[in-house]
Amino acid sequence: MSREVALTIDDRQVKAAEGERLLWAALDNGIYIPHLCDLREAERTVASCRLCFVEVEGLRGPVTSCTLAVSEGMVVKTRSPGVDRLVRTGFELLLSNHRLHCAKCAKNKHCELQKIARERGLKLKLTRLRSLLQDVPIDESPRHFNYDAGKCVLCGRCIWADQEQVRVGAIGFIRRGIARKMATFEDGCLADSICTQCEACVKVCPVGALYLKADELRLYEPKKKC
Amino acid sequence: MRAMDLIEGEEELIHTAVGAVLQSCGTGRESLIPVLQGVQDRLGYLPRLAMQRIAGDMQLPEVEVFGVGTFYNQFRLNPPGKHRVEVCLGTACHMMGGHIILESFERRLSIHEGETTPDREYSLERVACVGCCALAPVVVVDEKVEAKVSPIRVDGILLTFEIEKKEQEAEQQREAEQQREEGREA
Amino acid sequence: MSGTEAVEQAYRLLQSEAKQKVEAGREKPVILLGTATCGRAAGALAVLAAFQEEIDKHHLDVVLTETGCMGHCYAEPLAVILKPGYPPLVYGSLDEGKARRLVNDYLVSDDPCYEFAMAALEPNDVFPTFADYPRGIYEHKIILADCGLIDPGEIGHYLARDGYSGLAKVLTTEPDLVIAEIKESKLRGRGGAGFPTGVKWETCKNVPGIPKYAICNADEGDPGAFMDRALLESNPHQVLEGLTIAAYAVGAEQAYIYVRAEYPLAIKRLRTALEQSQGWGLLGRDILGSGFNLEIKLFQGSGAFVCGEETALIASIHGRAGLPNHRPPFPATSGLHGRPTLINNVKTLSYVPHIIRNGASWFRSIGTPNSPGTAVFALAGKVVSTGLAEVPMGTTLRNLVYDVGNGIKNERKFKAVQIGGPSGGCLPESSLDLPIDFDSLQQAGAMMGSGGMVVLDEDDCMVEIARFFVDFTQKESCGKCTFCRLGTKQMLDILAEITRGQGKDEDIDLLQELAEDIKLGSLCGLGKTAPNPVLTTIRYFRPEYEAHIREGRCPALMCKDLISYRIIPEMCSKLCNVCIGSCPVEAIYTRPDMLKGIDPDKCVKCNSCVSACPPQYKAVVKLSPPVVEEVVAEAVEEGMSEVEQGSGADH
Repeated sequence: MSREVALTIDDRQVKAAEGERLLWAALDNGIYIPHLCDLREAERTVASCRLCFVEVEGLRGPVTSCTLAVSEGMVVKTRSPGVDRLVRTGFELLLSNHRLHCAKCAKNKHCELQKIARERGLKLKLTRLRSLLQDVPIDESPRHFNYDAGKCVLCGRCIWADQEQVRVGAIGFIRRGIARKMATFEDGCLADSICTQCEACVKVCPVGALYLKADELRLYEPKKKC
Repeated sequence: MRAMDLIEGEEELIHTAVGAVLQSCGTGRESLIPVLQGVQDRLGYLPRLAMQRIAGDMQLPEVEVFGVGTFYNQFRLNPPGKHRVEVCLGTACHMMGGHIILESFERRLSIHEGETTPDREYSLERVACVGCCALAPVVVVDEKVEAKVSPIRVDGILLTFEIEKKEQEAEQQREAEQQREEGREA
Repeated sequence: MSGTEAVEQAYRLLQSEAKQKVEAGREKPVILLGTATCGRAAGALAVLAAFQEEIDKHHLDVVLTETGCMGHCYAEPLAVILKPGYPPLVYGSLDEGKARRLVNDYLVSDDPCYEFAMAALEPNDVFPTFADYPRGIYEHKIILADCGLIDPGEIGHYLARDGYSGLAKVLTTEPDLVIAEIKESKLRGRGGAGFPTGVKWETCKNVPGIPKYAICNADEGDPGAFMDRALLESNPHQVLEGLTIAAYAVGAEQAYIYVRAEYPLAIKRLRTALEQSQGWGLLGRDILGSGFNLEIKLFQGSGAFVCGEETALIASIHGRAGLPNHRPPFPATSGLHGRPTLINNVKTLSYVPHIIRNGASWFRSIGTPNSPGTAVFALAGKVVSTGLAEVPMGTTLRNLVYDVGNGIKNERKFKAVQIGGPSGGCLPESSLDLPIDFDSLQQAGAMMGSGGMVVLDEDDCMVEIARFFVDFTQKESCGKCTFCRLGTKQMLDILAEITRGQGKDEDIDLLQELAEDIKLGSLCGLGKTAPNPVLTTIRYFRPEYEAHIREGRCPALMCKDLISYRIIPEMCSKLCNVCIGSCPVEAIYTRPDMLKGIDPDKCVKCNSCVSACPPQYKAVVKLSPPVVEEVVAEAVEEGMSEVEQGSGADH
């Protein structure tokens, strides 16, 4: 069926199926590259989180590994001053719009942002940038899970799960620019929408934006109702 | 922002408009933007019901239609004012004082850009560039381009509408009186 | 080949029919009035009505035609009058009174009203032509040549001037040869990035996949550029011919014109043009009997600047939000419906018929070796002669600003020229001798962009202009990718703080770091170029940033939070009340000593009083950093009655 190609990532010889995206080839071989938006099952990469930068010999500057297919003899470096600088800025930009209270977050220790911070030695607090966080209410209307837009990183995984995996079509991206968000029709509560509360979206959320109420039991911070 | 409640009879109006537009544009995905444009042309905005009907007929998730409707500047989810004031804030207009003109309108109408006055007389919008940079600052009032606008001209533009409105009201009153008199004579 | 002859003959027939029609009108006097959007904004429709009324009144046999824009926007409304026996004369800054006089004095009697005339269109013994002005030395019109001189609503006018002859020639040539000619001409895309057009065509043609599509990108969203609008409104057939040739070359039978909804007149004139070319057999099935079919559809954008980006434009035609996708794949290999799709800008396509007609070497003889041809700029801002200018590539900024644009308004000092809109940059006085082409601009940190050129003078603050552009891109960001969505907002917040006097020393470095990262990290061209205005203003005008941050001072006296207004007592005339009348918020009051004062709490800093104060006094000044003055209040009541009398007498 599909041929295998050999490539070098961080001085290691690895093999991957031809046509495989570089990001997944690295991850499959135990080499970590920060990533939020890409899903292996998705047909097309959205390339929106801008964290999976790598250097590839023969290509100018850092490139996103989710948009690059592996090829025979490819030589890849997952770290370089240029890559580290971009990942740091991208990460800090996401934090600048993220409700940061890890200790009280239902996804504490299961959060992709925490993983990136750990792997790349980044701080989980804002140092350089201004906070852009708006005071957004948490949607607690679903029976078993909540949606906190203040933690959403707009990776789009939940929308993919809703529209492509379970084919419900309850959620999508609305508005644009800084106002872009995942929402239902007319930005209402999930429970008032056609959402079946199947929780497919919760399973794919990499951060604490969609989380189970059960995981939240240890939280006791008062919140605004939707 | 949630859509406003509908007045009686509006529901039918919306269905007629959307039906006609869908008929002429088709229901393929590629028609979504022309359909939304067509509906807004007829209704002045995109009511909630219209978006639902479009989603139903085009077999799209409602949120998808809402997503497209909120992505583009052109689409409005609430009815516009009777008079539409669009202040151009392109580069040339901005540097020639377009922002001052916008502030003048905001001050005079007591609304912010993107809003409609409570009496639904005026809505105030900003546009990125109407392509009249050489005549900056420019304001488009009810699709008529006003060139080289000053804060004083802002007052003039609004005054013209107020006078017009008063004249119309007076005219209506006269007509009403005339009718009453005619009724009495009869 | 009989096929070749048939196409040629079909074209010749059309052209002679068109010529006959146009010639027939030549025996009568003709008024060509520019009624493009810019003309209308200046009152062209009232002038049109006045002309018509006066012509009717005198029962004259005159052809009154609406045309497009000649590029002299500073002199709108503008008309050309052709009267047999006289040189064709251009009249500018018309109003209803002048229109009536032109009919009465020139058309009824024989006085050409030279006092209203700007220039003649042809050399003659009585009046200078445009070529006799400094502007004429530098201008070289190719795609603007017919704008304002032909009726955009009448295909015959275009045909009579050899319009569609390029198409006729192409239809009998192998597509590969057509592409070779465009490649040979070294035409580069006028949408901004300057990618070689011929290479794009070749890629699109050679990629397997049917059907193929051709798209004309008329989503001119750059705030400060209006040449695409002018071209569509003034000479739509030129664009249609270019698009048809492009479609033929790549093998597309379906084409789109993606045009902004903000350009209603352009859409209207395009519709008419499409109907006419269809009616004359220049579009549709079996064009000119060549067997080539093409359908062109109009697609109206819905107000999203990002849709100028090719992949976002395609998403928009697909009926989705205009979100860009990662490239590659490029649209030329996988675009509309996943098929090979050629996307070219309005200007790029407008050059195509001329290159086909006159040959690649003719085109290469104009401009510079790496950027041949001309460049069209929309001159705006603080320049005397605002409007459209077409000059050979390689013309210097100095020639453009001072010779074509006739220098800076109101004898102010030149400060910078913002070129290329939100993706471009601000170039300082030291760059004035820079020959403008794609590569030199890129080196200077700016970009050709779509050719918007806003001239800034000493009253324009460079931090504010950077803030303005970042505000624009931030509002127009689609929000898909992290760097553009959040990075532009971060830059905007920092810039806004600086213009409010709340900046910190480290902000300049932070801005620069962020800007560099956004350039590298963003997904599409909008994000990748959004930092350019910030980077160039820091590079060339760093002291202005520092003045805002360290001294709370705006050197250009523009940033509202850093200025105050003051009326200098020694210069104020006690008897003049003009400033009081000009103030929209009644912040100016008469002091007991009859001098005027400004209440800082009421003042909205709209600058009306500065413009209103008569030049012989010039008593209102702006101060930065702001100086807060006490209101001289105690004796207001006492002076009140006098003030009222005084202002009453003024009325």
